[in-house]
Amino acid sequence: MTKSIVSIRNLHKSYGKVPVLNDFSLDVYPNEVVVVIGPSGTGKSTLLRCINYLTPFDSGEIHLDGQKIDPRKTNLNHVRQQIGMVFQDFNLFNHMSAFHNVAVGLVKVKRVNRGEARSRALDELERVGMLQYKDQYPAELSGGQKQRVAIARALAMNPKIMLFDEPTSALDPELIEEVLAVMKSLAAAGMTMVVVSHEMSFAREAADRIVFMDQGAIAEMGSPSELFANPHKERTRQFLSKLGYRENERKDESDG
Amino acid sequence: MSIFDDRAAEVLQSLPYLLQGLGVTISVTLLALLLGGLIGLMGALARVYGAAPLRAAAAAYSRTIRSLPLLVILFFLYFLGSDIYEMSVFTSMVLALGIHTSAYQEGIFRAGIQSIERGQSEAAAAIGMTPFQNFFTIVLPQALRRCIPYWGNEAAIVLKDSSLAYVLGLTELMRRGQYVISRTHQAFLTYLIIGLIYLILTLVLTRGLSYMEKRVKIPG
Repeated sequence: MTKSIVSIRNLHKSYGKVPVLNDFSLDVYPNEVVVVIGPSGTGKSTLLRCINYLTPFDSGEIHLDGQKIDPRKTNLNHVRQQIGMVFQDFNLFNHMSAFHNVAVGLVKVKRVNRGEARSRALDELERVGMLQYKDQYPAELSGGQKQRVAIARALAMNPKIMLFDEPTSALDPELIEEVLAVMKSLAAAGMTMVVVSHEMSFAREAADRIVFMDQGAIAEMGSPSELFANPHKERTRQFLSKLGYRENERKDESDG
Repeated sequence: MSIFDDRAAEVLQSLPYLLQGLGVTISVTLLALLLGGLIGLMGALARVYGAAPLRAAAAAYSRTIRSLPLLVILFFLYFLGSDIYEMSVFTSMVLALGIHTSAYQEGIFRAGIQSIERGQSEAAAAIGMTPFQNFFTIVLPQALRRCIPYWGNEAAIVLKDSSLAYVLGLTELMRRGQYVISRTHQAFLTYLIIGLIYLILTLVLTRGLSYMEKRVKIPG
């Protein structure tokens, strides 16, 4: 059996008395793209944030590349360098140009010399199609452009896996495609990814596995063709039909 | 007795003497601002990032200092200082003014730090920055920019409060003014000139800071 890049085992997390993750387990394998879908408030974002320990959890284990992460022994800053994360609200560093947003991690965290940081940052900006905007500041960029810089910033750390937390939810409809295109090209290049998103075009085209989450656990899981064509559970079916409806609605809007 | 008599000329001739007090006024102001800035920044850090006891201690410090008149702090430190060892009037004034402004600067810095969106700190953590790197690379540079206008107000207040040092006999601008008055009996004209000097100093300070604010403004 192939070794997983990230192995999530029996994760439990509650906010006060409200359980968010309920014995959640998932293995993500090299080069795999896992898309997590599910109703809001079902723990999708919390799941991603637990993987890189941005949110502490109550019990369970995360293994990265076969190594168990023990926050008391493992340096979490070192762990996080290996796990790229892209946020819904971009979270770019507002006082830095696009270039510096990408380069700062290389210089401050990886401590590579300035020349190398420069060429690597420019490479990553080119990879997301933002090279010509390298000197722009976040306030001068559109949402889609910001998100592409945020992806480049995460990629610059050369992560083993990329986590995407609803990367297109804060975008105007006409800007979504440019971000999805970057994500699809990453997937095609073999990046291991866990993506929380309801962009069905991305899921159909790029996902190896769809995880349908409900009430903090995996309700159903399968390849996109299996899950979309023939969902086993009523809950999944209902949810997918709602998504389909919303997808059609958006098409209507952009037509009109 | 008219406001201006033949001794008015004497006041104008005393201008160089008055201006010699500028050095003391400016150095008291700058040193107090620096001291207050350091204490204020540490207090803000304690109140934003500190554990509960540290937060409480920093808040108590701030509240206490804010509720004391500068003059009380000044006399307290002066008499305490001269009891323990020969603390100079200059040192007493810098300490008193520095401690006084630290409580207000703490509030300014704290507001600046808290105004930076949490998401940026999360993004910094997500690329593996330590909390220390995050603070100095991401949070502080943006927080300080936002603080400039409010800090400028505080700096102008400190500049003018430095005149209180005259009560201890420190020969800054105000004290020298008093000497000129006792020689010339031209209180109105002397205070007018002193007022103008403070006006010019304050203008230079606030103009300088707003120039700086524009220089470091984040594009967009």
